This record gives sequence, structure tokens and C-alpha cells, in this order.
Amino acid sequence: MVKPVVRIDDLRLEFLSQAGAFEALKGISLEIGEGEIVGVVGESGSGKSVTAMNLLQLLPRTKINVPTGTISVLEHDVRAMDEKQLQHIRGGEVSMIFQEPMTALNPVLRVKDQIDDVILRHKDVTPEEAEEMSLKLLADTKITDPRRVYESFPHELSGGMRQRVMIAMAFSCSPKLIVADEPTTALDVTVQAQILALLKERAQTTGTSVLLITHDLAVVAQLCDRVYVMYKGEFVEKGATKDVIGDPQHVYTRALLNSLPEGKAPKSRLATVAAAMIEGNTGDVIDEPIEQVTRVARTGDTILQIQNAVVRYPKEYNLFGRPITFHTAVDHVSVEIKEGETLALVGESGCGKTSLANAVVGLNRLADGEILYRGKNILDHDPETRREIQIVFQDPQSSLDPRWPVWRIMTEPLTVGKSPTKAELRDQAASLCEMVGLEPNQIDRLPHEFSGGQRQRIAVGRALSVRPKLLVLDEPTSALDVSVQAQILNLLLDLQDEHGLTYLFISHDVAVVRHIADKVAVMYQSKVVEAGDSEQVLTAPTHEYTRTLMNAVPSLKRAFAA
Amino acid sequence: MSEVKVSRTGGLLGTEEGKSFSWDKVRQVANPEIIIAFTLFTVLMILAIFGQFLQTHDPMQGDLLKRFTPPGQEGYFFGSDHLGRDLWSRMVDGLQWSMACALTANMLNLIIGSTLGLLAAEKPGALRIIVNQFVYTLQSLPGLIILICVVVVVGQGFLTLVFTLGLLSWVVYMRVIYAEASSLFQREYVQAARLAGVSRWSIMFGHVLPGVRASLFVIFAFHFAGLLIAESALSFLGLGAPLGVPTWGNMLAESRQYMIRAPWMLIVPAGAIVTAVVTMNLVGDGIASLSRKKGRSIDV
Repeated sequence: MVKPVVRIDDLRLEFLSQAGAFEALKGISLEIGEGEIVGVVGESGSGKSVTAMNLLQLLPRTKINVPTGTISVLEHDVRAMDEKQLQHIRGGEVSMIFQEPMTALNPVLRVKDQIDDVILRHKDVTPEEAEEMSLKLLADTKITDPRRVYESFPHELSGGMRQRVMIAMAFSCSPKLIVADEPTTALDVTVQAQILALLKERAQTTGTSVLLITHDLAVVAQLCDRVYVMYKGEFVEKGATKDVIGDPQHVYTRALLNSLPEGKAPKSRLATVAAAMIEGNTGDVIDEPIEQVTRVARTGDTILQIQNAVVRYPKEYNLFGRPITFHTAVDHVSVEIKEGETLALVGESGCGKTSLANAVVGLNRLADGEILYRGKNILDHDPETRREIQIVFQDPQSSLDPRWPVWRIMTEPLTVGKSPTKAELRDQAASLCEMVGLEPNQIDRLPHEFSGGQRQRIAVGRALSVRPKLLVLDEPTSALDVSVQAQILNLLLDLQDEHGLTYLFISHDVAVVRHIADKVAVMYQSKVVEAGDSEQVLTAPTHEYTRTLMNAVPSLKRAFAA
Repeated sequence: MSEVKVSRTGGLLGTEEGKSFSWDKVRQVANPEIIIAFTLFTVLMILAIFGQFLQTHDPMQGDLLKRFTPPGQEGYFFGSDHLGRDLWSRMVDGLQWSMACALTANMLNLIIGSTLGLLAAEKPGALRIIVNQFVYTLQSLPGLIILICVVVVVGQGFLTLVFTLGLLSWVVYMRVIYAEASSLFQREYVQAARLAGVSRWSIMFGHVLPGVRASLFVIFAFHFAGLLIAESALSFLGLGAPLGVPTWGNMLAESRQYMIRAPWMLIVPAGAIVTAVVTMNLVGDGIASLSRKKGRSIDV
């Protein structure tokens, strides 16, 4: 590292709001050398995106206060620059790749206009030359038909394609540095693998430095030379990726790694960051030993049978509003679950797993086939029995009424057909809180006063209030940070143990599925392509797609093997 | 992404969020516009409620010897009109008339519009189609002309006016509530409630209605301003309040002949209308900005 591309020294940053100042960065220092790929990894709220945004002075200057610190990009002091000088740097010397390519690209302009525009603005070329360069850039990102993509509008491209276009644009002016803020978080795993490989390949061939912001340790392991681990606005650990992940020193890094389900015994208890980060634990304390529980599978009779289920959504309507063509979301799927076991539906977005889950709880109607609960068609059961099936949604932010206090949310299902008193409901809510690991004295609070993980606990508590037998969990951890995910997985496993619950677990995350599920059904393009015991399916997949999926998942182990 | 919570002001709106009211909270949210809006609104309300005690003269009793007294002279605060009646007292009377009329009509609008909006939003079906088609028809006709036609047929008077306005101008409520409720009915917490077997009425009153409440307040204020104008316009045309009743519209109509000789006869009712309408619009803006700030977090 002779000449660092980026050098940040003791940077502090506060956000100013009516509620007072909030310190987002607490004196961070960072250096990126030429041609280096550096990762900043941290959970939501740790300040990693703020670091990236502030590098290019993209935060509104009136809303922040920077008491100390210098930022130099290519030996320019960016904090002293005015907008005009900054514009030269942004897009020219430094470019950004954002999380969501759909919103980062202008939907009303063709790809060619957007990509040519960047080139014409920063380089002295004719439009014809710009077109030629654009096509070459697109071809460099392994797009097989660059001409078609070049002529397309963003909405005509898939998510992966759009992110490739973003990468092509980012490299268009041969920048010295690329800042990639969660570039693959919005993409499916199989696409993610391709994009990450592409990013690495492009950076290496062009000698560009990359600052990668991510929450995913496995992505860092796969891509980065060095890594900074961020926690509450500070870098708690930095170093070569191998050292940091292979032999973490700081207690937070260790806790974060321990909270990942990958490489842990299935159904074992995962460590949580919250437990490790108790007051005063600065990093030299030995990890808290994790108490292991032995879980005995108590499987019983078949509780749910899905037979040849078909779910269709109307696609086009005729003049009178009647649907004439359909999109088949679930195509003749048959699976069954025994009482007390966990069946996971794995697949990428759009494969139909959520449609099937919604059909099980009755939010979708089947076009064909049937769903049997305890041997009888689910629609023929009385409402009381149907309530034995409950659902937990992906995002607790939207699945809890923001205006209701927790006790009311949790006990809402109990008010059906009965009129219990407020005191009774509050008692119930308090005991449900205890069940899901919340403080019973928090029942008067509103959802927004809780963190994401706590909100998901509330959602689980609500589902448990009617003492269900079968719980449909629709991506219950994908909106959460990894350390919080560990807490929720622990909770779900404990609850299953205690109450003999049956889970239908929907997920795209193979590591999570391996950890929690007894049986797995892999869905691909509306069909189940492979099903069986989770250990067997996930270690020795027989179907082509399952293998692709397994290989695409970023894995710490594989990153080190390579 | 860390979240910085911005202060919540539920107390001001009287919703169950942020149960305790404190001046600290008020200070945090109050911008000058909101303060002006609520001050003006308070003044209007005091005048509307305690007007009788603030009138200096009998609004109907004229003193022909004191015709066209300019404002501020001989005890006439706002001057006197062509029959020597006190314009201040008449303006207060007009305020009461207009406020009562707009308020009642607005309540009727609110009940009809939001009920239809909620029911149409709840599930697709015949009701949704009928209500929507009816609203499209109503929207495609020019509002004031319809009102004039109806009033010409049914005649003048307070109740006729209230019912005409009340039964014909609820479209704005229906449209807004329909749109918002439609999205609320799709929310996951509503689906969770449905799956738990919660009845449609409990969902409507427990989840959806509270969700649209902030918008209801906002429309109420803006629509109030619109109704004040409609009422005054009808009275001005001689179709609203019966002749002789001191309403702003009637006062304006009377002032036309004396515009040059006694411009205050025009300025007082016109100024009153403008003030009331601007106040209600400011109040609407204020409520809108308060409800936007409420419990909202800025993603950083």
C-alpha cells in the first residue's frame, strides 16, 4: 500500500434532528490501497452505509455535523471540496453501485441513454464512440446479447441483468474506486454468486479498488482482501479477511460468527450477539459457553397434506374484467408434514413458495388439488379448527398494526367470538410475552418502540395466542440481522420443543433451512423439484437446480477452502 | 440503516398514540404556520360560539341616520351598511350561520363518504362497482351548477342548504378513504387478523378506521373551507340563505350597489370569507404535517 486510494482519519459524524444529535460514526479510520477489495461488514444501524455515503459527501450537509476527521479520496480532501469539484470525482474517479438496481436506474430512459450519458459527461468522445464503449462494457460484464440490453428499458431486464448494467456503468469511466453498497442483497442467491464473481473479476482486470458494504460475512469472505467489522459506529476489528474470520479477536466478531447457522449442528442453540455484548465486555472476555439442549424429534401422524395444489393468478383480463390468461404460481405441488416436524420450502423469489404458504392458511384459493388438515379438506373444517393453523409474516414492520399496543396485538385472536375483559387479555399477553422472551411489563408499548427482532417475537406471540398446532413461517428471519436471526431461530426451536408445534418454514436461505428443518422441499419455477430429509437433500442433492442453489450460497467454509 | 426517531405528537391529534400531552411535544412540532393556523382557528371558534356576547348592536336593527358610517366611527367597529346596521354584528351572525351550515354538511359528507369508501374498499363486488360508477358520474358534473339546480328545485333555507351540500359533496371523502382503506385492507396485520377469525366489522373499526383517521381530519379541514365557499357562493346568488338573513354571501350581494360609496361593506364579508377559508386550509396543512411527522423515523 504505497498510495492509498481512500484514507479516512478519526471521522466522527452526528445526525442532527429535532430529537437531538445522534452519533452515527465514533471516530473511524479506514484505508483502501490501490487495487484492493475492502469490506465493511456490520448489522443495520452500525453506520456502514453512512461511511460509504459520507465518502462522496452524499449526505445532506445541513443534517449532519462532523466534529473531527479527514477524508481523502485520491489525495483530495473531499470535505473541503464544493459541489462542482465533487461532481468531477463522483462518477468519474469514484463510482457507486447501489443495493436496488431498479431504483438506481432511471425507469423512463433506455439503458443506452443512461450509460452513454455517463461516458459523454466524463470523457471527451463522440456519441458513436460512446456507444461502442458502452457495448464493450456490457459485453465485459458477461452479458451475452449486449445489443439487446443496450436498447432495453430497465423494467425489461431481470434484477441480475440490471445489476450488471449498474456494474458496467460503474466501470464506464475507468474509476479508481468503486463503492458497492450491499450490491447483491436484493438479488437471489444464484444471481448473487454470478454478480460477486463478476465484480471481483472486473476489479482485478481493471485494477480498481472496491469498498464493499455488506451485512453478510460470507460475501466478505468470498470477495474481500481486507475487512473492517463495524459495530455501533466503530470499527471493532480490522485485518486480512482470513485472519478476521478465521481467528476473530473482538468479542463482537466472534459473536457474529457464532450466530451464523452455517457449520453448526442442526437444531443446536446459536449464540447471540446481545448476550456477548453485555456492558463492559470489551473483547478479551472468553465467549460465554452456549448451553446445548438435546432436541428429540417427536413426530406423530401426518397433520397436513398438500395434494396436487395449483395456485393461479389472473394475468390479463377481457373487456368485462374477467381473467383470460393466468400465471401459474404453484403447479401441482404435493407435500406432507407430520405432526411435530419442520418442513422447509426452499426456493428463490418467484418460485411460488409464498403462494403455497398463503394457500395453506387460506389467503389464496386453490385452482386445483386440495389441502388436507388432519385428513379432511381444510375448507371443510370449522373456524375453530382452522385457527390451529397460524402464520408469521416476513416483515414484522408491516405485520403489526402500528397504532396498537402490544397486549392488544398479541391477544387480538382471543377476542374472536368471546368478549374477555381487558384485564384477562393483559394477563394473557403478559404470559405470551414470557413465552416469546419479551419483558411482560412492555405490553403497553407500541410496535415502533421495539427492535426488529422483538417485533418478530411479538408476531410469533400473536400466532401462539390461540395455541396453534401448525405454524406457517414465511421467511420469518429474512428481514432481520444475522445476530437477531439467531435469537429468533433459537426461540422457534425452543417453542417447538415445548409445545410440539409443527412448522411449515418458508425460506430462501439454505443455511437457515439446514439448521431448522427436518424435511426440505426445493421449489423451482412453481414446482417441487426435490424433497426429502433435509440432511440428505442438502448434502447430496440429486436435482440439477438444488446443486446450483447449494453451490451459489456464499459460504465461509468454501471461501476458505478456495 | 440506523433509525433516528423523530418526536411523536399523537397527543395533539388526540389519537391513542403518544398518550400524554405535554408542551414540550408541542414546542417540538409547532412551526409558525401551525401556530398561526391554530390561533386563527381558536379565534373563529370563540366568535362562532360566544358571538352573541361580543356583538355590539342588534344585527337586524338599523339606524337610518347612521347609514354608511365608516369603520371605527360612532361605535361601529366595522362600519355600518346602507340601512345603518352594524357590520361587525352582522359579520358575527354570518360566521355562525356559515360555520353551522358548513359543519353540519361536512359531518354528513364525512359519514356518507367514509362509510361508502370503507365498504367499497373492503372487498370487490357489486357495491364497489356501483359506488365507484356513481362517484365517477358525480365527479364528471360541475359541482356548483348541480348545487344551483338542486337548490332551485328544493328551495332556500338552512336545512335545505345543509342537506343539499351534505348529500352531494361527499365524493372527496369517498375517494380518499377508498384509496387508503384499500391499501390498509391488504396489510399483513389485517390479513393476520382475518386468519385469526376476527370479524370484518372488528377489522374495519379496529385496524382500518384508525388508519385513515389522520386523513379524515385533513380532509375535514380542507373540505370545510370548500363548503364555506360553496355556501357563500349560493347565498351570494340568492339561492342559499333566505334574503335578509345576515350571511356573508347575502352581505356581499347587498354591498354590490355601494361598492364605491362604502367599500367596507364589501371588504368586511369578503375579508371574513377569505380569513375563514385560509384558516381552514392552514389547519388542514397543519394537521397533515403533524400526522406526517408522527412516529415517523428517518432512515439514515
